[in-house]
Amino acid sequence: MSILQNVKDLVRSRSIHVSYVDVGSCNGCDIEVLACLAPRYDIEQYGIYVHNNPREADVLLVVGAFTPGWEEKLKGLWNKIPEPKAAIAIGNCPISGCVFDRRGSYVDPPVAKHIPIAAEVPGCPPRPTEILQAILSIRDSVFAEWEVKRK
Amino acid sequence: MSGWLYEQDLMVQKYHILIATRHDRILRTIASDVGIGVQELRKTLIERLDMILLENLPARYEAAIAADQKGDDLVALALGRYIFSTGIPLVRESRMDEILRTTKERLDRGTPRPEAIAAGKALIREAILQ
Amino acid sequence: MKRTVDVNIPLGPVHPCFKEPVRLKCETRGERVIGVEVELGYMKKGIERIMKGRPWQEVMFLAERVCGICSVIHNMVFIEAIERISGIDVPKRAAFLRVIANELDRMQSHLLANFSYCYTIEHETLAMYLLDVRELVMDELERLTGARVTCAYIIPGGVRCDIRAEDQATLRISLDRIESDLHRYAKMFETGPMIALRSKGIGILTQESARRSHAVGPTARGSGINVDMRTLHPTYQQLGFVPVVRKDCDNHARIMVRFDELFASIRIIRQCLDTLQKGIIRGGGICKAGEIRYSGEAPRGELTYTIKTDEFGRITDIQIQTPSIMNIEACCHEMIVGVDSIADVTSTFVSADPCIACTER
Repeated sequence: MSILQNVKDLVRSRSIHVSYVDVGSCNGCDIEVLACLAPRYDIEQYGIYVHNNPREADVLLVVGAFTPGWEEKLKGLWNKIPEPKAAIAIGNCPISGCVFDRRGSYVDPPVAKHIPIAAEVPGCPPRPTEILQAILSIRDSVFAEWEVKRK
Repeated sequence: MSGWLYEQDLMVQKYHILIATRHDRILRTIASDVGIGVQELRKTLIERLDMILLENLPARYEAAIAADQKGDDLVALALGRYIFSTGIPLVRESRMDEILRTTKERLDRGTPRPEAIAAGKALIREAILQ
Repeated sequence: MKRTVDVNIPLGPVHPCFKEPVRLKCETRGERVIGVEVELGYMKKGIERIMKGRPWQEVMFLAERVCGICSVIHNMVFIEAIERISGIDVPKRAAFLRVIANELDRMQSHLLANFSYCYTIEHETLAMYLLDVRELVMDELERLTGARVTCAYIIPGGVRCDIRAEDQATLRISLDRIESDLHRYAKMFETGPMIALRSKGIGILTQESARRSHAVGPTARGSGINVDMRTLHPTYQQLGFVPVVRKDCDNHARIMVRFDELFASIRIIRQCLDTLQKGIIRGGGICKAGEIRYSGEAPRGELTYTIKTDEFGRITDIQIQTPSIMNIEACCHEMIVGVDSIADVTSTFVSADPCIACTER
């Protein structure tokens, strides 16, 4: 592995830009993602920045059980994120639909049907620390040696 | 990366809002009140109001009824003046005042009350559907 | 209703300022906004449709998941509606514990709302201070109910778990700390000259237009309308609750109403702790058939459940009218119309504390 690659890996591991998208949740997971910003959990000490702008994001946090409004939009959003990228499903909803996946509802889970999901954090809602840990654990497997793996 | 701004067809989503229990009940009341078919009224509402107004339909309807009952104008109450002009903005306020005036003139000329009110309702129906 | 406009600027559904997906199509003439069309449909889950035909034991948890931010009040209103239908009495101690849980929930929701506003007007320091205080409140909520969000604390005939003496002591200590911190932050907000530039006189919602669009909660109370469903609740009546009202009608007033209500909530919790009697926390009863329309005061305003049950305790018909519906409507069709620039659209929108998950259910 070249020195350049090592430098790239080092820089990437301390600079992860996060965007989150709510595709029809109850807001519970939303505010737990938001709570990660709080000085207590302090997401920025790990070099993670929550921008909520897909065009400069590395990690997309998907919250919610996929409603019909997102049918054509989530894919477009995913394509706007530059490589290397990863999506994390936060909460039970994007994984299984949780309580909303019943007869008569409008949702269409899992989100993995629509975009590739790299990691899942179950819970209704998961704790902020778990969300943080998921972002940190995905860091090395997705972003390290990305140029090498691409070849 | 440039392309046309994407606009979604909101017909289905708006319809989903209107078929909720309370919305449906109020919609049917209004439809039978002015004598429009339920589907026709739904279509008019979907075309002319945006989604948050549709969601807010029951609350606005109740607020408008309260406003109607507060005034002492019995003709306005019978016609549902605030319901159709400010509550559910389907008829322009100037047009509503016109309808109100015509109905009152008819009453003054000696037309029986139910008949005059029915004529006023017909005018409202016309204004909604145009 | 087609109109000629200069530019039609869509904001959202994914926007750095909005926590939830909503699309505002702002019609502008020059910089001035002359109209807003709201496009929803990104969060429509159809909860009311799922609820129909299910027993209350299941609907209870579904009701909580209408909104994750104000889950306790959804739980409380639904359970109290069921209790009113079936004539189930609540033990005194449980009634006060409910109020404590509800007020803690209101505090965290108001702190989150004020955090969002400060974040939107780019006053990140104050925003982070408020978010830090919110974590303290969440700790107390977790200590009382056992979960941070969606705790299902309130059950028919009482509450799920009791508060221990040592927890009461910790709660009092935390409240003292929260209060002293909040006094500082509220003063920062009230007297900050730069904050005033972004908030005072912006997003005017007159009393008349608030009535027309049926605005509720802090949004209405910021416009001088004295409306609070807590004044009709028996436990709050015992505590002698008085609503907070401000008359400035702008963004600043709405945020200050929330700050004032935070202090009011702290007072209510202290009062509850003082008057808490020894006794059971859960009575009994059978859920019966009936129909009721019951309202409670959520952090965002009046929350109404229209419920019909059958003799087995199943929900046959339900309609939830959440406060955000009215507030977003008032916000988009009255407040935002006429603001001087697009930059004020987001801050005005956030000042009404919109919750899209509530709105669409």
